[in-house]
Amino acid sequence: MKLSLTLNGGAEGQIEILSPAPECRFRLGDGPERAAQVEIPEPCVYSVLMDGRSYEARVEEHPGMLVVVIDGYRFEVDVRDPRRLRRGAGGRGADGVQTISAPMPGKVVRVLVAPGDAVEAGQGLLVVEAMKMQNELKAQRAGKVLTVSTREGATVTPGEILATIE
Amino acid sequence: MFRKVLVANRGEIAVRVIRTLREMGIGSVAVFSDADRTSLHVRMADEAEHIGPSPSSESYLRIDRIIDAARRHGAEAIHPGYGFLSENADFAAACEDAGIVFIGPSAESIRSMGSKTAARRTAIAGDAPVVPGTSNSATLEEVGAFAAEHGYPVLLKAVAGGGGKGMRRVDREAELESAYRNASSEAERAFRNAELYVEKLIEHGRHIEIQVLGDRHGNMVHLGERECSIQRRHQKVIEECPSPLIAQYPEMREAMGAAAVRAARAAGYYNAGTIEFLVDQDRRFYFLEMNTRLQVEHPITELVTGFDLVRLQVEIAAGGRLPFAQEQVRWSGSAIECRIYAEDPYNNFLPYPGKLTRLTRPLGPGVRLDGCVYDGWTVPMEYDPLLAKLVAWAGTRQQAIDRMIRALREYDVGGIRTNISFFRQILEDPVFRAGCLHTGFIDEFFARTAAPAPPPELATVAALTAAIHATAQTAAQAPAASPTSRWLDAGRNEMLR
Repeated sequence: MKLSLTLNGGAEGQIEILSPAPECRFRLGDGPERAAQVEIPEPCVYSVLMDGRSYEARVEEHPGMLVVVIDGYRFEVDVRDPRRLRRGAGGRGADGVQTISAPMPGKVVRVLVAPGDAVEAGQGLLVVEAMKMQNELKAQRAGKVLTVSTREGATVTPGEILATIE
Repeated sequence: MFRKVLVANRGEIAVRVIRTLREMGIGSVAVFSDADRTSLHVRMADEAEHIGPSPSSESYLRIDRIIDAARRHGAEAIHPGYGFLSENADFAAACEDAGIVFIGPSAESIRSMGSKTAARRTAIAGDAPVVPGTSNSATLEEVGAFAAEHGYPVLLKAVAGGGGKGMRRVDREAELESAYRNASSEAERAFRNAELYVEKLIEHGRHIEIQVLGDRHGNMVHLGERECSIQRRHQKVIEECPSPLIAQYPEMREAMGAAAVRAARAAGYYNAGTIEFLVDQDRRFYFLEMNTRLQVEHPITELVTGFDLVRLQVEIAAGGRLPFAQEQVRWSGSAIECRIYAEDPYNNFLPYPGKLTRLTRPLGPGVRLDGCVYDGWTVPMEYDPLLAKLVAWAGTRQQAIDRMIRALREYDVGGIRTNISFFRQILEDPVFRAGCLHTGFIDEFFARTAAPAPPPELATVAALTAAIHATAQTAAQAPAASPTSRWLDAGRNEMLR
């Protein structure tokens, strides 16, 4: 089985699984065929013996990607089966529009601007609080506030768009 | 001795206190908010009482509800932990009025040392060196005038502060207004006191503090120092005992210890407390503040001196005498602590609450873990994101650092982000290992170091694991969706081979 994958947002590569776990044989891109002995001692924990070395890989399922943690290093892996439909790429905002999104789960404690306001680069737009820590989200460059899609007291999730600036 | 003690706190410190109470044969009463019903301190305690909704202002900061809970459960004493009400003189007084022993100093000592500005005045009166600053709360205009006179950078601090909350570095006048507004609002939320004061920022200073311990019979000792210079957002993240600086200049321990005992005595202090000093590049030390409570980082002192500080706190509160004199305090080996937070160190240390999906704890020689997490627990959004304190002890500083790196490699927390791998990076840093520390270390570290690149073999293993996991998921889901798809997959597999 051949899969396309990207690692930590890098270039897309191919992996071909020639025989499944536990006695796994695989090929990366056009590279040589390799062998690895793979066991799953605990759910989502993979013990991989490869070239005489022992690795422990832990897999987390996140929306749209897998996160693999090995020896403290974190890999965000987007695995795609080329035979299946690709997920539609997210709509990119028009050029010149800045999106201000929540960097962390938390609560909006202050909204400092309203649609139509002119803002300077570095000006505070909103304050989001999590765990007693307040973070002021600032405008990256000067412009005019197009939308404010949240309000004080709202609970937000990471990546949620809170405001846009033209 | 008390038969039952209420712990007016949550998280790892509540668990820590309950452990010693259990060792002493004392019953424990936990209190909890809506967010903490299934938290570890509630599960571990002998008794537990709900004290309100999740925001701490409606639960862990409610003096009336905590005193009521203590009365209802027949607790004779209250341990406040750190944070929340631990440095609130009104709370200590309310306990006393209710006939409940407050495990800490007197309300008067807290008043003279608890507020940062009052402590500065006490220190000045006691002729202790202090950093230039305002000795009272300052308005935005007064801060501006101070900065104009002494020059930037300056440090805004909450009068009622602690734990870096309500603290902001200001490098230029243009940043002052926004920094003042945010620090003040953060202070209001954390301490119900929006007042700020300002100090001149001493660049490249080291934060070294002295643990003191006194009984109610006039005896007081110091238990040496803790170096807490590794900070992010003005909050300590790595602490060590001994300080590498004091290991080099041992006479500093005596000088700082004696100054700390004098300052604490001036406040009529008893129970455990900590005097924080800022040490400049010429090894001059300045009184910063006194923490009139148990410190987060107390375990390193426990490992190096062999004392259980919580046990001593309880014994002193029950009227006991210090069981040893200053000459009997010995420091052995080296201890280091890392504060494990739910946060993303590579994204400005933003908090990262959420559900833990995996947990493997470090074990083995010389490792202590004071934590409050378990597999499946959701880290609440409402409180400080401290998950655990990992502490390593060994004969020398280098061995303690190597032991800590080993323990961090064993530590796995899944589902949320933590600063575990960031600590490994710092502990492997030659500048850190040489003991050249200062409070700006982390900022400087980020400026000179890139995020660590994983060895290439790990990327191969990650790709392989992800591919196997993804195909296993497909295989597991496919039969439910359509009985023929497994055959289709197998056929495709054959064709693609």
